[in-house]
Amino acid sequence: MKTFLNISLAAALFVGGVYLYADDDEMEHARPAYSKPLSKQDQASAALYKKECGACHMAYQAGFLPKRSWDKTMKGLDNHFGTDATMDAADTKTIQNYLMTYASKNDRITDMKGAVALRISQTPHFVKEHREITQKMITQPEVKSIANCTACHTKADAGSYREREIHIPNYGRWE
Amino acid sequence: MKYLTILLIGSMSLMGASTEVVQYMNELSSVAKTENKSFAGFDAARGKEIFTSTHTGKQGKPMSCTSCHTSNLSNSGKNSLTGKVIEPLSPKANPQRLTSVKEVTKWLKRNFVDVYAREGTAQEKGDVLTYIIKN
Repeated sequence: MKTFLNISLAAALFVGGVYLYADDDEMEHARPAYSKPLSKQDQASAALYKKECGACHMAYQAGFLPKRSWDKTMKGLDNHFGTDATMDAADTKTIQNYLMTYASKNDRITDMKGAVALRISQTPHFVKEHREITQKMITQPEVKSIANCTACHTKADAGSYREREIHIPNYGRWE
Repeated sequence: MKYLTILLIGSMSLMGASTEVVQYMNELSSVAKTENKSFAGFDAARGKEIFTSTHTGKQGKPMSCTSCHTSNLSNSGKNSLTGKVIEPLSPKANPQRLTSVKEVTKWLKRNFVDVYAREGTAQEKGDVLTYIIKN
């Protein structure tokens, strides 16, 4: 009986935990493969992605954009938002494969009604989640751009966008 | 001559470029000679001019290497578009610099295009690397 109680308690905690987590972390759906541990090869690809793309900006989680967006991005690195972001062919291919594998399959987040979004900040879910953010919050020097996730989402680098982790420079916590 | 090359490689390494990067600079030097008959070696002063002068960049706006790297190579800089911190370029301040040809060629290509709207010549690349090594 005691064992049974323990198991039910554990199960209840588990279900509750998952529920709370999903409720709080609005970007949970952006990472469909997150629960599955990455293979050795994918870990290496993820590290390469972080190193190469993270040299200039946060390496945005692959799940923020659908396949077609990453494909277009990776084919246009010679003019990547106005800069040359090219790298050698082998690394380009590795990163492209990685992004395509972990791209969003959830159109609630990324559907652009046929258009191919290159900017995560133009995807519907992103727009909805940031609707209350003022221009002043975005353009201040500490933030600079809506693309600078880590300026406010303190754990964005690790893929966590919980509300309680938000701290907007010169404004404080988001509550 | 062989002795001189070894001496050159040795002294360059002491100054902060890895053996493979020194080798790469020797290759640039050979190409520079074929492209410019009066070429007589890389020059840090020319490299400084390349690094600090302003040009119309890829985006059609005035741009300089110092826009992101600042004019002090021992200081960290900031990506002028994203604000992301860039570690110092000087190998004296940042031992990771000029250790990998793969990294060096990647960034020289990207950054010449961003600042000059074209790729650098072998002489220009060697000059700017020489400037970075000496500063």
